[in-house]
Amino acid sequence: MQGLLAEYLPILLFLGVATAFSLIMIGAAVLVARQNPDPAKLAAYECGFDAFGDSRGQFDVRFYLVAILFIIFDLEVAFLFPWAISLGGIGLFGFWSMMIFLGVLTVGFVYEWKKGALEWE
Amino acid sequence: MIEVPALLPALPEIILAIGALALLMLGVFTGEKSLRTVSALAVLLLLAAAAAVLPGYRDTVVTFGGMFVSDSFGGFCKILILLGSALSIIISVDYLERENLKRFEYPVLIVLATLGMLMMVSSNDLIALYIGLETQSLALYVMAAFSRDSARSTEAGLKYFVLGALSSGMLLYGSSLIYGFTGGTSFSLIAAAVSGSGPVPIGVLLGLVFVMAGLAFKVSAVPFHMWTPDVYEGAPTPVTAFFAVAPKIAAMALLVRTMFGAFPEISDQWQQILVFLSIASMVVGAVFAIVQTNIKRLMAYSSIGHVGYALMGVATGTPDGVKSVLVYLAIYLAMNVGAFALIIAMRRKDGATESIADLAGLSRTRPAMAFALAIFMFSLAGIPPLAGFFGKFYVFIAAIEANLTFLAVIGALASAVSAFYYLRIVKVMYFDEPADAFDVNTGRGITAVATVSALVTLLFFVFPAPIVGAAAYAAQSLFQ
Amino acid sequence: MYLTFIVFLPLAAAIIAGFGGRVLGDRGAQLVTCGAVITSAILSIFAFYNVALGHQPEHVVLANWIVSGGFKVDWAIKVDTLTTVMLVVVNGVSCLVHVYSVGYMSHDPHKPRFMAYLSLFTFAMLMLVTADNFVQMFFGWEGVGLASYLLIGFWYKKPSANAAAIKAFLVNRVGDFGFALGIFGIFLVFGALDFATVFAAAPAMAGKSFTFLDHQVDVLNTLTFLLFIGAMGKSAQLGLHTWLPDAMEGPTPVSALIHAATMVTAGVFMVARCSPLFELAPGTLQFVTIIGASTAFFAATIGLVQNDIKRIIAYSTCSQLGYMFFALGVGAYGAGIFHLFTHAFFKALLFLGAGSVIHGMSDEQDIRKMGGLFPYMKVTAILMWIGSLALAGIGIPGIDLGFAGFYSKDIILESAYAAHSSVGFYAFWLGIAAAFMTAFYSGRLLFMTFHGHSRADHDVLHHAHESPQVMLIPLYILATGAVLAGFVFYEFFVGHHYAEFWNGALTVVDENVLEHAHHVPFWVKLLPLVMAVGGLAISWSFYIDNVPKWARLLGLVAALGIVGAGIAQGDGGLILTGVAALVLALVFYFGRTGAPGTLVASNQALYQFLLNKWYFDELYDTLFVRPAKWLGFQLWKKGDGKVIDGYGPDGVTAAIGFVARRARVLQTGYVYHYAFAMLIGVAALVTWYMLHSGGGH
Repeated sequence: MQGLLAEYLPILLFLGVATAFSLIMIGAAVLVARQNPDPAKLAAYECGFDAFGDSRGQFDVRFYLVAILFIIFDLEVAFLFPWAISLGGIGLFGFWSMMIFLGVLTVGFVYEWKKGALEWE
Repeated sequence: MIEVPALLPALPEIILAIGALALLMLGVFTGEKSLRTVSALAVLLLLAAAAAVLPGYRDTVVTFGGMFVSDSFGGFCKILILLGSALSIIISVDYLERENLKRFEYPVLIVLATLGMLMMVSSNDLIALYIGLETQSLALYVMAAFSRDSARSTEAGLKYFVLGALSSGMLLYGSSLIYGFTGGTSFSLIAAAVSGSGPVPIGVLLGLVFVMAGLAFKVSAVPFHMWTPDVYEGAPTPVTAFFAVAPKIAAMALLVRTMFGAFPEISDQWQQILVFLSIASMVVGAVFAIVQTNIKRLMAYSSIGHVGYALMGVATGTPDGVKSVLVYLAIYLAMNVGAFALIIAMRRKDGATESIADLAGLSRTRPAMAFALAIFMFSLAGIPPLAGFFGKFYVFIAAIEANLTFLAVIGALASAVSAFYYLRIVKVMYFDEPADAFDVNTGRGITAVATVSALVTLLFFVFPAPIVGAAAYAAQSLFQ
Repeated sequence: MYLTFIVFLPLAAAIIAGFGGRVLGDRGAQLVTCGAVITSAILSIFAFYNVALGHQPEHVVLANWIVSGGFKVDWAIKVDTLTTVMLVVVNGVSCLVHVYSVGYMSHDPHKPRFMAYLSLFTFAMLMLVTADNFVQMFFGWEGVGLASYLLIGFWYKKPSANAAAIKAFLVNRVGDFGFALGIFGIFLVFGALDFATVFAAAPAMAGKSFTFLDHQVDVLNTLTFLLFIGAMGKSAQLGLHTWLPDAMEGPTPVSALIHAATMVTAGVFMVARCSPLFELAPGTLQFVTIIGASTAFFAATIGLVQNDIKRIIAYSTCSQLGYMFFALGVGAYGAGIFHLFTHAFFKALLFLGAGSVIHGMSDEQDIRKMGGLFPYMKVTAILMWIGSLALAGIGIPGIDLGFAGFYSKDIILESAYAAHSSVGFYAFWLGIAAAFMTAFYSGRLLFMTFHGHSRADHDVLHHAHESPQVMLIPLYILATGAVLAGFVFYEFFVGHHYAEFWNGALTVVDENVLEHAHHVPFWVKLLPLVMAVGGLAISWSFYIDNVPKWARLLGLVAALGIVGAGIAQGDGGLILTGVAALVLALVFYFGRTGAPGTLVASNQALYQFLLNKWYFDELYDTLFVRPAKWLGFQLWKKGDGKVIDGYGPDGVTAAIGFVARRARVLQTGYVYHYAFAMLIGVAALVTWYMLHSGGGH
C-alpha cells in the first residue's frame, strides 16, 4: 500500500505545483495589472462561438468534420512519439505494426479526401 | 525485442481487415454505382473468411501474447456470424437500391462490424474484448443511422450510440475493477486469481456485475434492452435484419467466452445474474410483444425473448448448456434471417411497409410468402417439429439437468405466451380480409435466402446431427 | 359351437346392418338381421332341448379377457337350464319382434339403423345371460342399457324421446352403481368374479360380517343388497321404476322386446343366477319380497287410471316384474323364472297387439279416442283378448287348465302364502289386490279399445285397418305361447320335474317352498281367479252399456255358490273368498258406465294421486333433478366460467394483456429513461451481491 501511494507522489507534486503556479499568475494579475473592464473583452473571438449560450444554436457541421479529422491525426502523432522513442526496444515487429496503423489511417485519409470531406465548399 | 506472433490463427480476421480496406478503396474510386459490385465482393470476402476458419477449427491456439484464442467454440460462432453477415448483405441490396440508399459503404460497414465480432469471439483478454466490441459497435452505430435523411433512422443511431457508450463505460469500469482486484486483464490470469479458496473479493463481483451489464446491453437482455425496439424500428429494415442476427450471436458468444474463460470457478456467482437476466428477458420479450403493431418492433421483443432462452443455456454453466446455446444460436440464425428476408419483401408501390395489419390476407395474395412466413412464425413460437422447437428443447433439457427446473418452467410459460403473437401474425395472414397486395418483384436474393432458411427450419428435425454434433464438439473446447 | 353362433350371429348382423345399411338397402338389412336372429332362435330351441331337457349343461371359454395378477376374467358361454330358458325367451321374442318390425317400421326412413339396434340389443342380452362371471354379465348389462338408450331415443327428433332415453339411462345408472359396487365387493370378499368360485365359497361366508363405519355389517346381506339395487334399476322396481313408462316413447316393437319381455327381466335373471348368494342372505330376501310386492301393487294402482294404451301395459309390466321378484324373495326361484317365461309371451303379445292397434289407428295411443274397433281389426282384438286373459291369469283351478299367466301367477301367490312368513303374507295379499287390479285395467283396456261405441275421429276410423300378415304372424306365435306355455312347462319349471329340469341351476338352501306351494288350501288357488274374473267383470260393467242381466245375476250366483261351499266344508278361507267374490259380484251387478266418473269425482285426490303416478317424478324432480341441475349450473357458470376460466385461460390472457398495455408506457423513447433503467438494473444487481456475499472484504 505504501509503495503504491509513493508511486503517485510525483503526480501529487505536479498537482500542487500547477495549482500554486496558476494561483500566483491570477493573483499577480489582480495585484499588478490595471483593471479596466469592458464587455468586448468577454466576447468570443472572430472565428469562434460564444463561450456561454444556448447549446441548441445552429452552426455549420463542417466545423465538426474538420475538428474530428484533426483529432484523428493529432492522436496519430500522439502514438508516434512513444513509438519513435521505444523503436529500438520493440524491433521490427513494432516497426511494422506502426506501418500497418499508418496504412489504415492512410486509407481513411484517401477515403475522406475522395468523398470530398476536406473541401470546404 | 518482441517476437512476431503467430498470425495464422487470426487469418479470418486478417482477411476481413485487408479486404474491408480494399473494398473501401474500390468503392470510393468507382463511385456510388458500385454497391452491387462491392456487395458481391463483400459476400465473397465473408465466405472466404469462413473458409479460412475451417483449417484451424479443431485446434485450440493462443496467440498475440495470450490476447487472442482460436478454438472450435470460436470457429463455430465465427461461421455462424460470417454466414449471418453474408446473408444480411444478400437480402439488403434490392432494398437499398429501391429506398435510395444506394451507397457502397453499407457492405463495407458490415464487413468491418463482422471483423469486430470475430475479434470478440476470439478475445482472451479484457482489452481484446473491448477492442473487438468497439470495432463492432462503431460500425453498427453508423449503420443504424444509415438512412441519413430519415429522422427515425438518425434518432435510432443516436440513441444506440449514446446508450452504447454508456454500456461501454460500464464495461470498462467493470474491467478496471477486475484488473484492480486480480492484477491482470488476461482471462487466464483472472481465472487463476479468482480460483483460490475463500470468499470472492467484492470488488471482483462488482466488476463482474458491470462487465455483465455491458455485455447484457449488447445481447439486449432485460433490463439493458430498452434501446432494442427503438433501434430495430428506426433503422432501415436490412440493418435491423443484420442487427437481429450476427451481433446477437457474437455478443452471446462473447458472454460465454468471458464467463467460462475468465470466471469458471465462480460460476455460481454469475449464474445468479444470468438467471435473473434470462427470466426478465423471457417474460418481457413475451409480454411486451403482445401489444405491438409494427412487425419490426415485434421482432425486437421477439429477439429479446430469444436471448432469454439462450441465456438460460449459459446459466446452466455446463457443457450441455453451452452446446444448447450454440444449437439455439444456429437455429435462431436460420429463423430470423428468413423472417427478416420476408419482412424486407413487404413493400407496396408507394414504399416499404412495416405494419402487421398490412399482412392481412397474405395467404391469398402471396401464398408462398405467407406459407414461408408462417413456418418462421411457428418455428419462432417453438412448435414441433420445426427447428425452433428443438432449440428450446435442448436449452430446457440442459436447464433441467442443471437443476434449474424452475427456469425451464418459466421458459415454457413464456413460450406459451409468446406463441400468442407469433400465431396472431399467422392468423392475420390466413384469416383476415386481404389488404393491398405487395409488389410481386421480390428479388432473387431474398427469395433464395427465404427459401433456403425455410427449408432448414422445416427439415432440421430430419437431420439435426451435423449442427448438434458440431455444437457439442465446440462446447467441449471451452472445458479443456 | 352352435352356442357361439347363438350369441354372435346377432352381433354380426348388427355390424353388417349398422355399418353396411347404406349398401345393403332396407330390404337387405332386414333380411340379414331377421335371418341371423331367427337362426339364433332356432339354435336356442335346440339348446333348450339339449341342455334343459337333455340335462347337459355346457360351458365354453372363448378367450381370456382380463388377466391381471390374481384377477382373471374370461369371455365365456355358460349354458345351463336357466340360461337356455333365457335364450329361448330372448331369441324367441327377439326374432318375432324383428319380423314384426319389418311391417311396423315400413314407413320409417331409418330401417337399417333400427334393425341393427335390435340385433345389437339381442347380442348384449345374450352376453348377459350366457355370462359365467360377473364382469361379462356387467358387460351385457351395460350393453342392453346402451341398446335400450339408443332404441328409446330412436326417433331422435322428438324431444320427449330424447328426454326419455336420457332418463332411462340415468335411472339405470343409479342401479348400475349399486351393481358395480356389489361386484367390487364380491371381488373384495371372494377374490374372484367367476360364478363357480364365488358360489362355491359363499356358504363359508354366511353369517360373516365386516366393519363399515364402526358398524358390523353382514357380508352376504350387503353384497346381495347391492346387487339387488342393480336389479331394481334394470327391472324397474319401486323407486327406480320411473324410467320404464317414459321408455314407451320408443317404437312399439322396442317396448315389446326390451321393456316387456327381455331386458327388464335381466334383474330377475340376475337374482336367480345369484341364488346361491341370495339364499344365504335372508335380510336381502325379505327386502326383495317387500319391494317386489309393493311394486306389484303400486304399479297396478297406477295402471288403473292411465289412458295411453302403451303406458297401461308398461305399468302392467312393472307390476308383473314385482310378482317375479317377490317370488324370488320367498325362495320360489322356479316360480319367478316361470312367470318371466310366460310373461314374455303374453306381454310381448300385448305390446305387439297394441302396436298393431296404434299402427291401424294412425299412431293414436289414447284409449279415450278409441272404442268399437273390434269390427275393424278382429284378429288383433282376439289376440289382445288372449294376451289379456293370460295376463289376468284366467283358468280353472280344480283341473288346472288355463292360460299361461294362470299357472305362473298362481304358483307365485301360492308360494308366497306357503312361505308362512310375515313378508310372505304381505306379498300374498298385495299380490291378490294387484291381481284384481290387473284384471280390471286389462278389461278396461280391452273394452275401451275394441268394444262399445267409437270415440275416434271420423277420419282416423275411416282409415282404421287390420295389420299386414308380417305383423300378425308373430302375434299368432306369441298367442300360442300365451295359451300353451303354462300348461306345457308347468311341471318342468315348478312341478314334478323341477329337480331334473333345473339340474342345479337354481339353489335353494332350506326346503323348497315350491313343495309347500302345491299343498296350500284350495281357497288360496281360487282367490286369484275370483279376483281376476271379478276385475274383468267389473270393468265390463263400468265401460260397456249393455251388459246382459243374466251375466250380472250369474256373478251373484257364483259368489253365493262359493260362500255356500265354504260354509258346507267349514273352510274359513273359502268363506272369505266367497265374501270377496260376493262384494265384487255386487259391484258388478250395480256397476254402470257412469260409475268411473262418479268414483273419480268423489275421490278426486286419490285419482290425481294415481294419475300422477304417486308423484314419484315430481318428488325426484325436487329431490334430485333440480338440485343436480342447480349444482351443475353453478359449477358451469361460477365454477368453470368464473373460477377456472376467469382465473385460468381468460384471466391469464387478460392479465397479460393488461400488464403489456401498462408496461409499454415504460418504453418512453427518451434516452435518459433508458439509461436510467440500465443504471437501476446495475444498482439492483450490485445490491443483490452486497446483501448476499455477506459483506465480502
